[in-house]
Amino acid sequence: MTTDAQTERNRWLLLTPALTILTLAAAGPLLIVVVYSFLTAGDYGGVVWTFSTDAWFSVIAERDFFDETLSFSDAHLSIFWRSVKLSLMTTVVAFLVGFPTAYFIATRPPHKRDFWMLLIMVPFWTNLLIRTFAVMEIIRNEGVVNTVLMKLGLIDSPIQMMFTEFAVTLGMFYVFLPLMVLPIYASMERMDFSLVEAAYDLYASRWKVLRRVILPLVKPGAVAGSILVFVPSLGAYVTPRIMGGGKQLMLGNLIELQFGQGRNWPLGAALSITLLAIVMVALIIYVRSAENGETHHG
Amino acid sequence: MIEIAGLSKIFGVGASAFTALENINVTIRENEFFTLLGPSGCGKTTLLRSIAGFVNPSSGSLTVNGEDMLSKPPYARPVNTVFQNYALFPHMTVAENIGFGLEMLGRPKSEIKSVVADMLDLVQMAPMADRMTSQISGGQQQRVALARALAPKPKVLLLDEPLSALDFKLRKEMQIELKRLQSETGITFVFVTHDQEEALTMSDRIAVMKSGRILQIGGPKDIYDHPAERFVADFIGDTNFVSADLVTEANGIAQVRLPSGKTVEARSPAGGAQSGSVTIAVRPEHAVLSEPGALIDGRLKNIVYFGTDTHYHIESDGQPTFVVRRQNQPDAVEHHQVGDTVGISFNSGTAQVLRD
Repeated sequence: MTTDAQTERNRWLLLTPALTILTLAAAGPLLIVVVYSFLTAGDYGGVVWTFSTDAWFSVIAERDFFDETLSFSDAHLSIFWRSVKLSLMTTVVAFLVGFPTAYFIATRPPHKRDFWMLLIMVPFWTNLLIRTFAVMEIIRNEGVVNTVLMKLGLIDSPIQMMFTEFAVTLGMFYVFLPLMVLPIYASMERMDFSLVEAAYDLYASRWKVLRRVILPLVKPGAVAGSILVFVPSLGAYVTPRIMGGGKQLMLGNLIELQFGQGRNWPLGAALSITLLAIVMVALIIYVRSAENGETHHG
Repeated sequence: MIEIAGLSKIFGVGASAFTALENINVTIRENEFFTLLGPSGCGKTTLLRSIAGFVNPSSGSLTVNGEDMLSKPPYARPVNTVFQNYALFPHMTVAENIGFGLEMLGRPKSEIKSVVADMLDLVQMAPMADRMTSQISGGQQQRVALARALAPKPKVLLLDEPLSALDFKLRKEMQIELKRLQSETGITFVFVTHDQEEALTMSDRIAVMKSGRILQIGGPKDIYDHPAERFVADFIGDTNFVSADLVTEANGIAQVRLPSGKTVEARSPAGGAQSGSVTIAVRPEHAVLSEPGALIDGRLKNIVYFGTDTHYHIESDGQPTFVVRRQNQPDAVEHHQVGDTVGISFNSGTAQVLRD
C-alpha cells in the first residue's frame, strides 16, 4: 500500500522532467533577460556588470543629445503603437476570414472535413520565409495584382503596396490564419448543430442565429484563436522585416536591432520585457472579457 | 389543420438515391394528438422535419390552415419543435430558453416575462427559472424544451421522440403530462415515436409508417383491432397469423375458410378485393381455449404464467404457434395440461383479413 506521503513524493518525481525543462528553457532565460535589462551596455555589444536603469529609461524616453533635456521617445512609442495596431488589425481580419472558413468546414459532411482542414494546414507546413515571399510576389510592384490590373488597363502605374502597413498586416494575416481557423473549428465541431435548428425553429433569422447561438457557443474558440494570432503578431519579426522593408518596424525588429547593430543589449532586454508585459496585459483583457461573457448569463 | 398531399422526399441522386418519403397523403386535424409510428428508418422523422422546414420535400404540397409551408423557411412557419435531444441553449438560463422564441418574434419585454412565467407554471419549473440548462435533470430539460416550444403559441407542435431518453417511470409521467398539455393548450401535436404502446396510450389518431410510406391511419382502437396489413398487425401488439381461404367478401365483411374446414366471419381491410388465399390476424386476447373440434385444433405446447394473465401456446399443422391469452382470476383452476389436444375459438368479426 502506498501512503499519502509516497503518493505525494511520486507526484513530484513525475513532475520533475517538466519542471526541469520549464526552469531551464523558460524561467532561466527570462531571469537572465531581466538581469541584463538592469546592466550597462558594453561598447561592442554584450553587457558591463554595472547596475543601471538607463535601458528602462530609454524604453519610453530619450535624453536630447545636446542639451540633455528629456522627452518621450517618439520613435519607440510609434513602434509600440504600430505593433499593437497592426497586431489588432491582423487579429480582426483573421477572425473575419477565419470564422466563415471554420463554419464552412464544420458544416461539410464529416468525411470531407479532413480534406478542407488539409488545405488549411498545408501552408502551415511550408517555411515561414517562403510563405512570406509568396505574399510579396503577389503584391509587389511587378507582382500578380499590379500586372493584372495594368494589363486590364484599370491602372496606369503600379500601386505601391509593399513596404506599407497594409503589406505587413496582409503578410501576418496570411501566416497566422490557420491559428485562428483551428481553434474556432474545434469548438464549432463540438457544437450541437441541432441548437442551430432549434433557433431557426424559434423564429430566429440567419443573422440572429449567428449572433445569439453560434457566436456565443464558439466564443472560447474565437478567444483562443485571437490570442494565438495576436500574441505572435505582436512579436513578429520576419514578416514585418520583409513586408515592411525596414520602414515599418515592429517591436520584434526593434529588439533585434538593439542586440545587433544597436549594440544595446540592456535596452533590447528591457524592450523584450515590455513586449512580454503588453502580451500579459492583452491576455488579461481577453480572459476577463471571456469570463464576463460567460457569467453575464449565469 | 395540416394538409399533406403527394409529399415525397428523395435523398441523393442516381444509384445512391434513397426514397425517404413516398407519396405521403394525410390530413391532421385541429387540436389533434397525431402520432407517426414506425420502426427506425421508416421516414417518420423525415416527415416531421418536412413540416418543421428542415427537410425540403422533392415533390408534393404541405399547408397549415390553408397556408403553403414549403415556400417558407423554418423561422417563418407557425410550427415549433421539441427535439429528441431537447437542444436547449447551454449558454442561456431556463427562463431565457423559454423566452427565446417570443424574443425573436420581437414581442415586448413585459409580454415575454408574463408568458415565460405562465409557461414555467404550466410545466412546473418555476423554481428553476434562473438555473442554467446544464444544472437540471433530464426530465426537467424535457419540460423546459416543451415550454420553450409552446411559449410562442404555435399552431402545431412537433415532437421528435421526446420521451426516448427518459427512464421508464419518468416516461409514463411525461406521457400523461403531454396529454394534459395538449388538451390545456389546444395546440395540434404531431408526435413521432417507435414505441407502439406510447402511440396507443396518447394518440387521437396514429399513422403507421414503413419504408417511407403510410400504411394505415386510424384511431388507436381502430389500428389495434383492425390492422390492414400484416406489418401493422405485427408491429402493434401481439398477433396470431393464420392462413385461410377467402370465400366471400362484401361490405367490409369477409367469410374465410380455415384449414380445419370451418368458416368464420372476419373484417376485410379497406379496399378489400382479396384473392383466394389470405392471412387473417387474431389477437391473443380475442381467442379462447375450448374443446377439440373448434375453429382450430392443436396440441398445447406451453403454458406461460404472467401474473395478470396466462399464455397458452398451441401448435397445429402447417401454422405458426398460436397464442391464446387468458386473464387470470383469483380462484381460477388450471384445467389444461401441456400435451393436451385443445380447440381455439374466436368470435365472428374479431379476426381481421390482412392486405399483404
